[in-house]
Amino acid sequence: MTDEEHRPDAPVTGQARMEVAWGSSTGDETEAEATASLAKKSGEIFEQQYTSWNGTLNGRWMRNWAILRHHLLGIFKKGNRPWGMPTRIFLLIAFIIALSDAALVLVSSLIGSPEIHAIWGVSRDNLYGHILGYFPRNTLIFPVVAALLVGGVISEDRNHGTSALYFSRPISRVDYVGMKYISVAIIQAIIIIGSYMLYFFAEIAAHGRGWAWMLDVFPMFLAGGLCGVLLIVTYTSIGLSLSSVSKGRFFPGIGLLAILFGTKTMAIIVRNLFDRELLYLISPYDCVAHVGQILIGTEPTYTQYPWTFSLVSLIAINALALYVLSSRVSSMEVTRE
Amino acid sequence: MVLTKAFKECLGCPFIVADMERNLVIETKGLTKYYGPHLALEDLNLSIPHGATALLGSNGAGKSTFLKTILGLIQTTSGEGTVLGCDIKTQGVEIRSRIGYMPEYEALNPDMDAIHQVRYSGELLGMNPVVAMNRAHEALQFVGIGDQRYREISSFSTGMRQATKLACAIIHDPELIIADEPSNGLDIKTREFMISTLNTMVNEGKRSVLMASHLMEDVERVCDNIVLLHKGKLAAQGRIEDLKAIEREIEIHVWGKATPLETLLKDRGMKVRREGRVMRIAQSEQDTTSAILQAAHEVGAQIRRMHEYEASLEDLFLAIMENLGYEVKSSEDLLASPVQARRVDAPQSMGGGAS
Repeated sequence: MTDEEHRPDAPVTGQARMEVAWGSSTGDETEAEATASLAKKSGEIFEQQYTSWNGTLNGRWMRNWAILRHHLLGIFKKGNRPWGMPTRIFLLIAFIIALSDAALVLVSSLIGSPEIHAIWGVSRDNLYGHILGYFPRNTLIFPVVAALLVGGVISEDRNHGTSALYFSRPISRVDYVGMKYISVAIIQAIIIIGSYMLYFFAEIAAHGRGWAWMLDVFPMFLAGGLCGVLLIVTYTSIGLSLSSVSKGRFFPGIGLLAILFGTKTMAIIVRNLFDRELLYLISPYDCVAHVGQILIGTEPTYTQYPWTFSLVSLIAINALALYVLSSRVSSMEVTRE
Repeated sequence: MVLTKAFKECLGCPFIVADMERNLVIETKGLTKYYGPHLALEDLNLSIPHGATALLGSNGAGKSTFLKTILGLIQTTSGEGTVLGCDIKTQGVEIRSRIGYMPEYEALNPDMDAIHQVRYSGELLGMNPVVAMNRAHEALQFVGIGDQRYREISSFSTGMRQATKLACAIIHDPELIIADEPSNGLDIKTREFMISTLNTMVNEGKRSVLMASHLMEDVERVCDNIVLLHKGKLAAQGRIEDLKAIEREIEIHVWGKATPLETLLKDRGMKVRREGRVMRIAQSEQDTTSAILQAAHEVGAQIRRMHEYEASLEDLFLAIMENLGYEVKSSEDLLASPVQARRVDAPQSMGGGAS
């Protein structure tokens, strides 16, 4: 474009606008290398890049291990299932309290007090008491541990919709509920059976027990361990079934405690008022305790009915809880809850 | 909206508009599902090709049942189907390993960091923990929240949660992504990003997407094909372009004598829709343009503008549902109030909100 074309008296032809839009009419004839200008940078540093992945997916046991690890490691470190801080603190306190008899065995050995050892040392009654003693272990510690653990394990999946995360993946409902059951049971086992084993080993270490003593006491020890398994299975079954019918962690926790303490209280009231022990058969704790007393060989609390009644009742309670659990988990949705 | 003969053929029967490629990601034959006496899916014959496909239908149409069926989570009453070549009856685990499902509803633990949530979702597929962690970084970077990945999900916005759900779905780079309402509840910017991310998956990643959505605008931008369910039956299936081509109209802007023109056109057997000065006349086999001009000349109306009107997918969807006897809200309504807007006048037993 020349200056002449910009004179005030120049005719209005639209030429200038055309040239602005499409380039000058002069000078374009010369051959020159055409280069595309770089796109303007907007200042945004994010650049979306698709990255493919061709790795292999492991099988069923790897997936189940992931669920188990997720729940177990959540107690100890971040990045896994977020157990609440109060739960973690209570678990620590419960573990310390559960080790109180082991500590007293060590103390009796350290200060050389046979009186303390006579009260707290390993014996038939003390092995029973470590697992199934009612106060304080099965009032203040183990049921509360179970309530805190099972409360949100399934209900929070319902509440947060995370069940979709499991069921839209190659996880069967049996694996889902099985791994959750086992992981909660393992955490309880660390506290109940773990402390029980430490108690036994404290006796061996502190008092220099030999093979003869160990062989002598070992059947009782095993029976105590079996009682621990029964207790954990019963608490977990009832707790998880309550968790599966709920959307929060409060109701299952409180529900579990209400069932355990309510039935026990009812059994005591009925026995005291009517001199009938029948109602203890609906108390999960009493049933486990009765079976445990027979297994370990201590004197049974209930004498009006044989221990097999308690065993049948225990099986029925667990079967009912597992039925509720399985039916509720099988109805959990992927698309919506 | 008026419906042409070909369009009507498309409704109420499993009429496949275009010859689809045989490269199918989902195929069902006579798929039927009863919940007790309630028929949820009826004789569904679907052929969903590779690429992006929308799964449409009003509430209660059977979309959720269909998704659960193809995920191998519920047993079908009769019929058969395959997803990525795997039988939905016997290979549910294999199917769920190869697809990525992004649920519509909340599916994240609010107390976890995004990175660990996505890693865990990978581990649930069987990924090695270290590999899952590496892929979680990549997936979150891809969905645009790489710099926020160590934040707790409870502090995330709706868009970030949607992105995290998408990252969970794509951590193993699945062949088929099933996205249930991926852009629901998102603001314009986040919605744009979600749409472009899905497009990237389809175009760059060469992955297939099955997207259930009520937002037709989003569907149209992502998907090439639609599957429309109604009362558990296949109402329409095919390429969006082909379906839209069935219903062609001419739009005219009239100045003066609009009512006489409308009357005359209708008298001459034309199908006219009118809103003020704008009329849309269905194209017939004859020369519709000349007929409109002739009619305008006869009544003395001025036609200021005349052009071929291409229906949007939303028009198409509304027309189909109208034809089937249901009122459905538009995208604007859905965006304004998602919960209320999804009420349709279907009976409550079908998930509708009519009282």
